[in-house]
Amino acid sequence: MSDSRDAPVVAVEGLSKHFGNVVAVDDLSFTVARGEVCGLLGPNGAGKTTSLRVLMGLERPSRGSVRLFGEPVRAGSPQLARVGAMVEQAAFVPHLSGLLNLKLWWEADGSRWGRADLDGALAVAGLGDAVHRTVRTYSQGMKQRLGFARLLLGRPELLVLDEPTNGLDPGEIREVRELIGRLTEHGSTVLLSSHHLSEVEQTCTNVVVMNYGRLISQGTVSELIGSSGSVYIEVDDRERARTVLEAIDGVRTVHLQGDGLTVDTTAGRRSDLNAALVRAGLQVETIMPTQRLEDAFLDLLDARNTPGAPIGATS
Amino acid sequence: MIALVRTEFVKAARRTRSLVIVALLIGLPALILFAIHRRAGRADRGGDRGEGLFRLAHQSGLLVPAAVLSVMSGFLLVVIAGTIAGDSIAGDAAWGNLRYVLIRPVSRVKLVLAKGLVAGFLIWAATVLVMVAALVGGVLFFGAHPVTVPNLSAFGGTGALSFGFTLSSSALVLRVLIATAYVAFGYSALLAMGTFFSTLTDTATGAIGATIGVYIISEILNSITELGQVRYAFPTHYLDAWEPMFTGNTYPHDMIVGVVVQLVYLVVFGAAALVWFQRKDIRS
Ligand SMILES: Nc1ncnc2c1ncn2[C@@H]1O[C@H](COP(=O)(O)OP(=O)(O)O)[C@@H](O)[C@H]1O
Ligand SMILES: [Mg+2]
Repeated sequence: MSDSRDAPVVAVEGLSKHFGNVVAVDDLSFTVARGEVCGLLGPNGAGKTTSLRVLMGLERPSRGSVRLFGEPVRAGSPQLARVGAMVEQAAFVPHLSGLLNLKLWWEADGSRWGRADLDGALAVAGLGDAVHRTVRTYSQGMKQRLGFARLLLGRPELLVLDEPTNGLDPGEIREVRELIGRLTEHGSTVLLSSHHLSEVEQTCTNVVVMNYGRLISQGTVSELIGSSGSVYIEVDDRERARTVLEAIDGVRTVHLQGDGLTVDTTAGRRSDLNAALVRAGLQVETIMPTQRLEDAFLDLLDARNTPGAPIGATS
Repeated sequence: MIALVRTEFVKAARRTRSLVIVALLIGLPALILFAIHRRAGRADRGGDRGEGLFRLAHQSGLLVPAAVLSVMSGFLLVVIAGTIAGDSIAGDAAWGNLRYVLIRPVSRVKLVLAKGLVAGFLIWAATVLVMVAALVGGVLFFGAHPVTVPNLSAFGGTGALSFGFTLSSSALVLRVLIATAYVAFGYSALLAMGTFFSTLTDTATGAIGATIGVYIISEILNSITELGQVRYAFPTHYLDAWEPMFTGNTYPHDMIVGVVVQLVYLVVFGAAALVWFQRKDIRS
């Protein structure tokens, strides 16, 4: 497999998908490198599910291409065996038991049941004896957990999760988040879509922001948070720092707060602020974003709707 | 492909619905057998003796399967076959499970073929079950005698019976087997259309309804003799072409035409299902 080492695990290039007049995905490009936990972030209707469907060979792109492990994806492509995916909610054959559902799904392509990582998958799902009950009797949370068991059967190198906590109650959401946390610890590459910003902030290293089918921003989570908005700084001399900061382009306001200062910026990075303070001979103790991804995200969407406004981490 | 057929078979067969269908496919022949039995009793007292196969059936249990098939092939088996075929792909779609079936490295062509094979097998199994239930019950009730068939065209006319013919027990068994195969194969058009409709929609009941609907419309149009030769192309026109094997001592030429018509439907709609499903965007 010459492909696997150098090529990105996921490579989406110029992808467009139209449904009649509806443009669900519009010239979308991004990559996910091996080991990244990438969040595909966007509000409802942004085109996340459509992009993931194309990625899994379920829908044909109107334009552009999608590669997994360096190979183009088509319906039933062999490299799909290396991906564990959940597109929208988990679903099963309702009149069969959870366990038989897993077995039949696994064996459909001729794979031997003995080869599946059943113990690992069931340990993750944590359904206990319920796996012997028909899926009809499951709650949505249980189905979602069985869905995780199913996608883990093949020890996948890439996990594709489409809004995995959608439709769950708060307890179930926490369970699923913890589960994703455990999976990412094992170093799998993950592409996770969400309109839940905190979910991406908590679980992802990288983020791809999209809206109206278009790419808005791609980068690391900290880049996105730090790209604009509010920064909290602690220095040895607050008053002098204030003067220095207020002179920087793009800084709107500087407030004293607690032991430090909060700085509102329209653009620019934390590193720029830091450099200016250091050049002025100030000791910088702390410099961190106060803004959550949530605000950064909303800023980004706003910026896109206001032509000419600056955008932080657009790649 | 074998693995796919096997897994799809388990999914399709292991459900409560299958038990209901099996109960119907055994229960209804039993009921018909009971009706034949009563009618035979009344006939002995010189009462009404009913139509065609039905009035002959009490002569031999080997004729009961033919009588039962002639009653059940026109509606109940159509509904069952339509349900099985219409549900084949749309069933998975309705559960939201189709996308999970297809994110395995499984070719869509093979999936449609596997689902079609499983549906076809179940339709044949249903038809054979009806025949077996009728045969067992019939032989238990009436024995396995040869049958003497009077000249039916003269029957009930002046009362003067002209020369008929006799079917030996082995001839009856052979013809029952052929009839069963012909009836089962007669659902090939329905199988292919049902599978095709099943690729068009994510609503299983829609696909099932459309499939059975086409059959009912075909039956209605077929009964309008003014339509003439157009009717020969209808999927239901030759469904009963096997009956003269028992009432007329012939292997009707129409049976061959019937098989050809079914084959044409099978190929055309089977190909349509394959082509359509291969290009389809899977959302469910
Ligand atoms: N089959 C379809 N037919 C028409 N429009 C569709 C179809 N699927 C998705 N869309 C539209 O495409 C856009 C993106 O949908 P989707 O990918 O589901 O977004 P997300 O998953 O980000 O919420 C939406 O406006 C949706 O209405
Ligand atoms: Mg979605």
